[in-house]
Amino acid sequence: MTLEMKDISSVLIIGIAGGLAKITAGLLSKKYPELSITGVDSRPVKLEIQTENIKTVQMKYTRGNFERIFREKKFDAVLHLGRMSHADANPMGNLEKRLDLNVMGTKRIMDLALRFGVKKSIIVSTYHVYGALSDNPVFIDEEAPLRASIKYPELRDVVEMDLFSTNWMWKNQTEIETVVLRPCSIIGPNIRNSMCLYLTSPYAPIGADFNPMFQFIHEYDMASVVIRSLEKVPTGIYNVAPSEVISIKEARKVIGQPSIPVPLLFLEQTVKLLNFPFWKFPRYLLDYIKFACIIDNKGIAPYLGEDFYRFTTKEALELLKLE
Amino acid sequence: MFEFLSEKLQVKPPKEEIDKIFEHLQTIYPAGEDPWGLSLKKARKNMEMIWPFYHNYFKVRVFGQENVGDEPYLVTSNHSGQIAIDGMLICIAFSLEVKPARILRPMVERFVTGLPFFGTWASEGGAVLGDRQNCINLLEAKQSVLVFPEGVRGVAKNTADFYKLQKFTRGFFRMALSTGTKILPIAVVGAEEFYPFVYHPRKIARFLGLPALPLTPLLVPLPSPVDIIIGKPYEAPPELTTESSDAEIDIHIKAIEAEVKRLTEEGLKNRRSFWANVKKEEKK
Repeated sequence: MTLEMKDISSVLIIGIAGGLAKITAGLLSKKYPELSITGVDSRPVKLEIQTENIKTVQMKYTRGNFERIFREKKFDAVLHLGRMSHADANPMGNLEKRLDLNVMGTKRIMDLALRFGVKKSIIVSTYHVYGALSDNPVFIDEEAPLRASIKYPELRDVVEMDLFSTNWMWKNQTEIETVVLRPCSIIGPNIRNSMCLYLTSPYAPIGADFNPMFQFIHEYDMASVVIRSLEKVPTGIYNVAPSEVISIKEARKVIGQPSIPVPLLFLEQTVKLLNFPFWKFPRYLLDYIKFACIIDNKGIAPYLGEDFYRFTTKEALELLKLE
Repeated sequence: MFEFLSEKLQVKPPKEEIDKIFEHLQTIYPAGEDPWGLSLKKARKNMEMIWPFYHNYFKVRVFGQENVGDEPYLVTSNHSGQIAIDGMLICIAFSLEVKPARILRPMVERFVTGLPFFGTWASEGGAVLGDRQNCINLLEAKQSVLVFPEGVRGVAKNTADFYKLQKFTRGFFRMALSTGTKILPIAVVGAEEFYPFVYHPRKIARFLGLPALPLTPLLVPLPSPVDIIIGKPYEAPPELTTESSDAEIDIHIKAIEAEVKRLTEEGLKNRRSFWANVKKEEKK
């Protein structure tokens, strides 16, 4: 039996300084004005739209006062949108910090949620967990093995956070409803993930010898999926992607950014060369612009219904131009 | 000059016909791309590039088009010719000479999708990764898929084994069962003579980790005329499921194998003479 929104009066959003969390908080506040929303982030928080029912706090998730918030606010739901991004040019450099925040931090959040009687939690992971490999089938469903860190150990935290969340979800499913979302590339003017940076970088290299297909979801649509998950989606792991696909070359054409076609043989060296000091480009992303990682969206589709997504892929890409 | 020569040599693809085909294909793939990497623009370019070879060099003839309906099939063919030229010709035939026209999706070896340039060229033309789940997803999306159940053993044969059908593997039949797709048996005759003298050092290939290592004095395939013979669709009985035992499905695999063999023999009887096959007949 899925929890209903009338049973939820207080929501905690982790990672409120991030673009997706801000949009989610805004939409949630507008749709449910009676809801009390608390946003937490270790980074400074500045909300563009101030509303009565959103309160933000800057703090680390490991501090004692983080536990106090849980005790005082009596949250009914936790939206974990605070995964530390692996978009850095050198994701290996901050791997330890990311492992601590993404894996240990998630454990602490979820344990507190369980301890203080939270009824539902939503955790946003990423499709990157499946890995971009030449032998990926089209489509990859939620039961597929997570192969991202086989080739790139810097993606270890991404995979471990997802594995931890899903294990925790099944273990505690009788006490707390948990939804783990694995969205495709989220794009939008407020998102600063590796794919957005790649798409909007002028003169970014593009494989002359590869042209993988991609799925993109607009930040507004992703925030709507998070809210729908809170409202209707039962415990489980769900891929999130629209049915449309687009090749990477077409995507960059839509955005209108000039690209430099580079064959595979030179691409890796080019990336190394351009990484410093002109341009930031994580090494693992090379494989994501070489091999497709197309996810199966059938699992969540019944809960979203027809015409759920407001933006088509082309519109979502065109909106990136406005950045 | 080029125009004049291409017209005289008949190497110019039939523009109007191809326009019509791609108008129809645009209705199937309105975005011009699909999740498996197909690009209609590139598929058209590929077809126009291959057409002179299809029409003038290999002089492909297609028989049995009337057996193909407006539904998806798991197209099951014999495999021959050392390299997958036969697959390319079958795909062109299913776009050009079969109604309604379709992009047949050939399943390729896993290493192909990882190859720079060639992998993308093949995917944009319609080729897909040879993975069971991938094939099931394609059939569920109402796409027709081309498989070679003989595998590498079929394509990489010594001269002495030409036209000897190798044992079919079971995977293709289980994929058809799980999606309720009909199997369309076809035979390709003439492709074995692309490279008439071949030797396969299997031990060396295994040592090098290669699926096959055909050794032949020829660099380019010979212009052996090719016939593609399409058989009648084979529908698995409804009582069979994906969980049926090997023994239960083997009867049907043998029947399909026999049909491909029969179509091959029929094709061999009616094929056009070419010095490589004439010589072989005389030797016999």
